[in-house]
Amino acid sequence: MRISIDWLKEFVDVPSSTEKIADMLTMLGLEAEQGLDTANLSDIIIGEVKEKIKHPNADKLSLCQVFDGNNILPVVCGAPNVDTGQKIAFAPVGSVLPGDFKIGKAKIRGEVSKGMICSESELGISDEHDGIMVLNDNAKVGSSFVQYIQENAPSIELDITPNRPDCFSHLGVARDISVKISSPLHSPDYQPRPFTKSEVEDWISVEFENIDECPRYVAGIVKNIKVGPSPDWLKNRLESIGQRSINNIVDISNFVMMEMGHPTHMFDYDKFGSKTVLIRRGKKGEKITTLDEIERKLSPEQLLITNGKIPVAIAGVMGGLDSAVTKETTTVLIESAYFDAPTIRKGAKSLGMSTDASKRFERGADPNGAENAFWRVVQLLEDVAGGNWVAGMADPYPKKIEQKPIELTREKLDLLSGCDINDSFVLLTLKGLGCTVKGKTKKWTATPPSWRPDLEREVDLIEEVIRLFGFDNVPSKYHYNGIMENHEPDPHKGITIMTSILTGLGFTQVFNNSLQSSRKVSLLDIPSVKIMNPLSDKMDQLRTSLIPGLLKTADFNVKNGEPDLMLYEWGNVFEQENPGMAGIVEKLQLTGMIHGLLHGESVHRKKKRSASFFALKGVIESFLSRLQIQNILIKPDKDNDYGFQNAFSVVVKGNIIGYFGDISHQFVSGMNLDIGQSFGFQFDLNTLLVLTDKTVKYIPIVNYPAVERDLNFLVKENTIVGDIVSTIQKNGKSILKKVEPYNIFRDESVGENKKAVALKLRFQSDSKTLEDKDVNSVINEIIRVVSKNFSAKLR
Amino acid sequence: MDIKESIESVRNLFRTDSDPFPTNYQTVEALRIKYLGRKGLVAGLFSMMKDVSDKERPIAGKLLNEIKQEISSVFNSQTGSSKSREKSHGESDYSLPGLTFPVGHVHPLQQTMDDIKSIFMNIGFSVAYGPEIDDDFHNFGALNFPPEHPARDMQDTFFIDPETILRTHTSNVQIHLMEEKDPPLRYIIPGRVYRNEAISFKSYCLFHQVEGLYVDKYVSFADQKGILEYFVKRMFGADTKMRFRPSFFPFTEPSAEVDIWSEKGGQWLEILGCGMVDPEVFKSVDIDPDIWHGFAFGMGIERICMLKYGIDDIRLLYQGDMRFLEQF
Repeated sequence: MRISIDWLKEFVDVPSSTEKIADMLTMLGLEAEQGLDTANLSDIIIGEVKEKIKHPNADKLSLCQVFDGNNILPVVCGAPNVDTGQKIAFAPVGSVLPGDFKIGKAKIRGEVSKGMICSESELGISDEHDGIMVLNDNAKVGSSFVQYIQENAPSIELDITPNRPDCFSHLGVARDISVKISSPLHSPDYQPRPFTKSEVEDWISVEFENIDECPRYVAGIVKNIKVGPSPDWLKNRLESIGQRSINNIVDISNFVMMEMGHPTHMFDYDKFGSKTVLIRRGKKGEKITTLDEIERKLSPEQLLITNGKIPVAIAGVMGGLDSAVTKETTTVLIESAYFDAPTIRKGAKSLGMSTDASKRFERGADPNGAENAFWRVVQLLEDVAGGNWVAGMADPYPKKIEQKPIELTREKLDLLSGCDINDSFVLLTLKGLGCTVKGKTKKWTATPPSWRPDLEREVDLIEEVIRLFGFDNVPSKYHYNGIMENHEPDPHKGITIMTSILTGLGFTQVFNNSLQSSRKVSLLDIPSVKIMNPLSDKMDQLRTSLIPGLLKTADFNVKNGEPDLMLYEWGNVFEQENPGMAGIVEKLQLTGMIHGLLHGESVHRKKKRSASFFALKGVIESFLSRLQIQNILIKPDKDNDYGFQNAFSVVVKGNIIGYFGDISHQFVSGMNLDIGQSFGFQFDLNTLLVLTDKTVKYIPIVNYPAVERDLNFLVKENTIVGDIVSTIQKNGKSILKKVEPYNIFRDESVGENKKAVALKLRFQSDSKTLEDKDVNSVINEIIRVVSKNFSAKLR
Repeated sequence: MDIKESIESVRNLFRTDSDPFPTNYQTVEALRIKYLGRKGLVAGLFSMMKDVSDKERPIAGKLLNEIKQEISSVFNSQTGSSKSREKSHGESDYSLPGLTFPVGHVHPLQQTMDDIKSIFMNIGFSVAYGPEIDDDFHNFGALNFPPEHPARDMQDTFFIDPETILRTHTSNVQIHLMEEKDPPLRYIIPGRVYRNEAISFKSYCLFHQVEGLYVDKYVSFADQKGILEYFVKRMFGADTKMRFRPSFFPFTEPSAEVDIWSEKGGQWLEILGCGMVDPEVFKSVDIDPDIWHGFAFGMGIERICMLKYGIDDIRLLYQGDMRFLEQF
């Protein structure tokens, strides 16, 4: 909401500069920005319209001659309100308006235009775009517009938090300032009107369907009014906060709302259609055309103001067009009501409407404000529109809303604030905010004012005291208890280690969207979790795998000229294992992929090397070995469900901890990707975290010499070398430390469908220097078993 | 032993000693001295020439020269003369690129998350994680969001079913923690959260948050200031100008926003929200608000990451563009 500094000054002495006021309000919790983001407006200067004629080729355009202080320039303008003699905000050729809108020399319908006369919306000051902004007579032609604004209409934009409905007005904001700077608050100058005999009953009465939805409805009549333009002071007030003046009656209602915070509504009494106001819920099939000339379909979701038969307004949101004040209106029915906040919120939401009035009622209005605003409106209608008040007001208010007293103790205040705030400050603050306070020290009993529905508990009062004391005045404490009995290590500690290993192996981490299209999700046969209200059908399910995200990233990089990729991501995937929320399983996974070249040609490497299955396997072996995960079994996994072809599972202690293999082609075609063969792995991250959460135990280094022997077996082509290796390991007694194939040889000389497998064996004893005979007996046994099991021949 | 046999035995000894050829410079030199040194084995063989008969001398001389050459050539071929290296590998041209090894990159979000975690862990916070899909109670109800709060709206929150949502903050884990454990509690809670927001340069449909919770008998607003000041100065530098400004959240009272001053932009930038845990929140998890007090805070990791590294488009963080990632 926009606050005019000048207006604020009516109620409280404010600091001299707008910047200081903005800072003070911000530090009071009323987040303030200086009314204008003037950074974007430095190019704008003040011009004067010297001449205005109709554009020769366009009905709705004018051709103006604008004096910019040096030259007179032709400017085409489309605003209906532009006129000779006006001082205006002028954007010269070459200037840039907010939104990066550059002003260039233009020809509009055949006429040259050198610059632009700006509206408030073009300047980013307000939403007003119906006409140009007309400056007052103080404006100096040729000087800076920013300077003019700062001097003439200083204002501040406030972002009011939902707990402070009382600050949706100049008076409310002034109250906070007055407490902060200990300066008196001046109320608007009006009085409830005395009367001897109430006559209003002859004109209007109020009835309710449900008193809880509208606890208070003040209605009254002012007759003999004259609708016309507002006086300058009223017009200027509204314009200073970016509101458009409409006519004196509507302006009064808006003025009172901006001054005191309470929304009121003016009906044309003669068009109201009855002498009874009935507040009730809408009915199916009912309709109303609101002030904005839109026909609204009504339902029981909205609370309505009716004349007993048909709706005349949507309560707390917007009035109806048929009963609106027009030029012909002579008698107005004033509505100044207090509605239940949730009722108005739901009603406005059901129609997709949000108005100045609904914003205030939704957050909680002031039940007493209904009466105060009524008297203020009556006074202004008489002063400004020459009306006569019909004595009395209809104000059935059977269930008075009372604020409950709250106890505040010194003990709790000290404990929560952690600092020393003295008794008199507490008392003055609570009183200044409008509370009735009993007690002077140690304990206070405060009854909040009717305009502070947010003050209900002791902690709410403590908040107010600390807020006014100033968060910045609370000293920071650094002597808290640094250790705690129940301190726990980070459950994701292992992820940091894995990240560093993968980085060392050349992998780059990515984060991808968890929301995916059903098309992508359906590429895997994993039941997915669906979103009821997705942003779009491209993001209507939760991912069941990290692979599609990685492939999309790979595709993006390939298209940008970087095809050589080693990528990984860790994060949650989601499975709908059983119906309902209880059936949803979140699985933490670590998934990676390689694509393109591992390395290209260079002065040192004559041959480039592509990503391959064995490169992937090497990565996995290095990764797991560095994580100290031993005794890994790698098993073929023919029917892999997780998106791998030629897949293998990684088994530790009988449990599958992950998979690797070629990434299935179904993704490439299903997602329309421009990528080649890629290889990937996927680990269950929680299992990895468990397996890595252990302390390595040092094994003493053996200093006895090792003996190496080579064995070269001739076997059938389809023999799995790994099986030979494990057979050798099984028969190595305790002295075989390592066995590794180092050459596979195929040639005519070894025969068709045969291969020669050369293996290096390393023997070492923990307790002595091995002699030939120790090794030979083991080797002979190995040769015997391998020859037998694999029909192998020693070469 | 005649000289021929001696030569043969030196040759055999050398073959054993030089296979495998040592890689260590000192061992190579020792080997060289042993065979080719002034008092080495080859010199010893030459000294035997004085005892050789005139008749055998030419043959012995030839054999001696052969073994000397043989041994020298092994040294030369293994260590290489500087000339031959230049020709075969061009290694003396230091300007050539080194042999490259792959280099990976840690995502800037991960780096920021790790930084934040480590700062709080240094001052005794534990770390906890929780579900991304949760019920209305843990994400809203227990956190004192009124039933009609706009955040509970379909426009702001992704729903799985009317009672189940994608969490909008990691505060849901606060509630789980307080349900499961007795105070005192001191945790940070990093994690992924979701908002039903259109994707643009400044907002994404998900982001990451670090939530903090500290509950003990005597925890005050002043403690909160001290701890968060420590965090901000560690994260953004000891000279960082910061302020606590009053704000509003349903789950804290009083609530504050923390801003840091950007000299470059000439403005305050919001970096986190915080406040004293609202008594209603304690009540919803059966913790007595008359005994236990505490504060909670929450920050967007993306926002801090973007501020720290000067990133101006949040989408870069989820695009996986190598041209972006390899800068970190």
